[in-house]
Amino acid sequence: MSEPVLRTEGLTKRFGGLTAVDNLSISLASRRVHAIIGPNGAGKTTFFNLLSGLLSPDGGRVFFRGQDITGRKPHEISRLGIKRTLQVKSVFPELSVADNLWITRQARNRFLHPFRPAASDLEARSHVARTLEQTGLAGLASRPAGTLSYGDVAMLEIGMAVISEPSLLLLDEPTCGMSPAETGRAVAKIRDLARTIDIVIIEHDMDVVFGIAEDITVLAQGAILASGSPAEIANDERVREAYLGRPEDEDFVEEAAHA
Amino acid sequence: MTRRYIEIGVAMGVAAFLIAVPWLIPALTDNFWVSVITEILIWSLFAASVNLLFGYVGLLSFGQALYFGFGMYGVALGIDHLGLSFWPAFGFGIASAMAMALVSGVFAVRLSWHYFAIITVVFSLIFYFLAVSMKPLTGGDDGINFSLPPVFRFGRMVWSLTDPTFQYFFVLAVVSLCFFLMYRVINSPLGKGFLAIRDNDLRASLIGLNVYVLRLIAFVMAGFLAGVSGALFAFFGRYASASYMFYQVSGEGVVWTIVGGAGTMFGPLVGTTLFIVIREIVSSHWEHHSLIVGLLAILAVIFAPKGIVGLWNGWMMRLDERDAAVSPAMTLQADP
Repeated sequence: MSEPVLRTEGLTKRFGGLTAVDNLSISLASRRVHAIIGPNGAGKTTFFNLLSGLLSPDGGRVFFRGQDITGRKPHEISRLGIKRTLQVKSVFPELSVADNLWITRQARNRFLHPFRPAASDLEARSHVARTLEQTGLAGLASRPAGTLSYGDVAMLEIGMAVISEPSLLLLDEPTCGMSPAETGRAVAKIRDLARTIDIVIIEHDMDVVFGIAEDITVLAQGAILASGSPAEIANDERVREAYLGRPEDEDFVEEAAHA
Repeated sequence: MTRRYIEIGVAMGVAAFLIAVPWLIPALTDNFWVSVITEILIWSLFAASVNLLFGYVGLLSFGQALYFGFGMYGVALGIDHLGLSFWPAFGFGIASAMAMALVSGVFAVRLSWHYFAIITVVFSLIFYFLAVSMKPLTGGDDGINFSLPPVFRFGRMVWSLTDPTFQYFFVLAVVSLCFFLMYRVINSPLGKGFLAIRDNDLRASLIGLNVYVLRLIAFVMAGFLAGVSGALFAFFGRYASASYMFYQVSGEGVVWTIVGGAGTMFGPLVGTTLFIVIREIVSSHWEHHSLIVGLLAILAVIFAPKGIVGLWNGWMMRLDERDAAVSPAMTLQADP
């Protein structure tokens, strides 16, 4: 078995009295699409924030392809090739769609030229044109990103992740707020990306999760509740109880019993 | 298309006016207005330094007067104490302003919004009081006067700023060059990085931009612009004074920028022109002319949040849309 793309050892993050991520040790194999699911407040986004450097852990370590990246700054982690999208869609609202992609591409370089006209960079421009085509945003290229529909912004976020050519992509609820048609387009795009990029996805839409993921980890209260293949997870009693909830009629029976 | 013609027309009109000033103004009105326009050009560069930070990087600095003051004192002390000639003194002023911006920027750009605004004020106040108290060196509020060294000397030919026409063109050339440099930076990859940070600094760090370093670069560049304007103002007034380091001066730069249009290339020039012209016309008749400044600032913030240039851009955009709506109909008519 090859080296895991991402590994954490005893990762812990507390907010005051609340332990959001609790002694989490996880190992994600390379070349697999990995989904992280769990009820609200399970610590999924906090886990992503620890991986991408937005938060530093109170304990434990994070290894990316064997390299210890614990406590590094977000831009340093980004330059290693770990890119992420945010749960609340986050782009550069006053820049055009094309410029959003362009600066994301440019940010891979250490040096931003202070005097050369930005428009003269042909390599970046051809990448922008290709990504616009791939994400179906070509018709909106010159529109300020802040004026796009929510689904288009979500698509732009995926485009921004793609154009930076990541080696590991962390997607935080990428299809949240998308129409069914847009969700289909996004799922197809993510599947396409998964052939070359390692992907970890947080998602609430179970159709998306079971449509994309090869491995699933279920978090509850900051710890791993279960992990395994989609089939194993779907049949796991504990997962059903903690996450999917008991069937409503059982609740009803219980309520009736207590009445 | 209409938009392009109008904008080229306005640009050429303004350029022609600025070049013709030394002959046009004496023909039309008092000579004194040539020096008012010189002063407007210098202060517009100061406003541009506020604009670079606020309009393009999203950092609202209330302390740019500090770097203006360092530019001023760099020139005055360079000439008066160190015996430098014109160009070394000019360079010394700009370098002092940039060095000061680097030192305070290292601390200030870690913060954003009101914390950033407060720390910039604090820095400028500290150095204001230092400058006032170090009277033997700085002259305090009275300032220090110096006599101008010549700008160029070729044999017996001497060009000096004591000639008002030469002074005007010298200031026009330096200010134009600085605006050109700023234009280049804003449209470069670095400038796009600035805009990305202004729009969403969290996202900017996630795509791999080093927000801290880029903000620091912008802060030092703004220190350069403020330093050049301070150095020019020292040459223009032949003196330097601690009173120009007071935060009221910084505040004026912010008001000029916001009313003129933050985040637009020429907003600061428009805002500075408006307020200095108002000051020159009104202040001789009415001592409370700053009331007009306050009123205009409030009106601008409410009715033109992107300033005067922002309003103009809005009109031009509508003109574009009208053109786009009209032109297909026109081609139809032209078809037999």
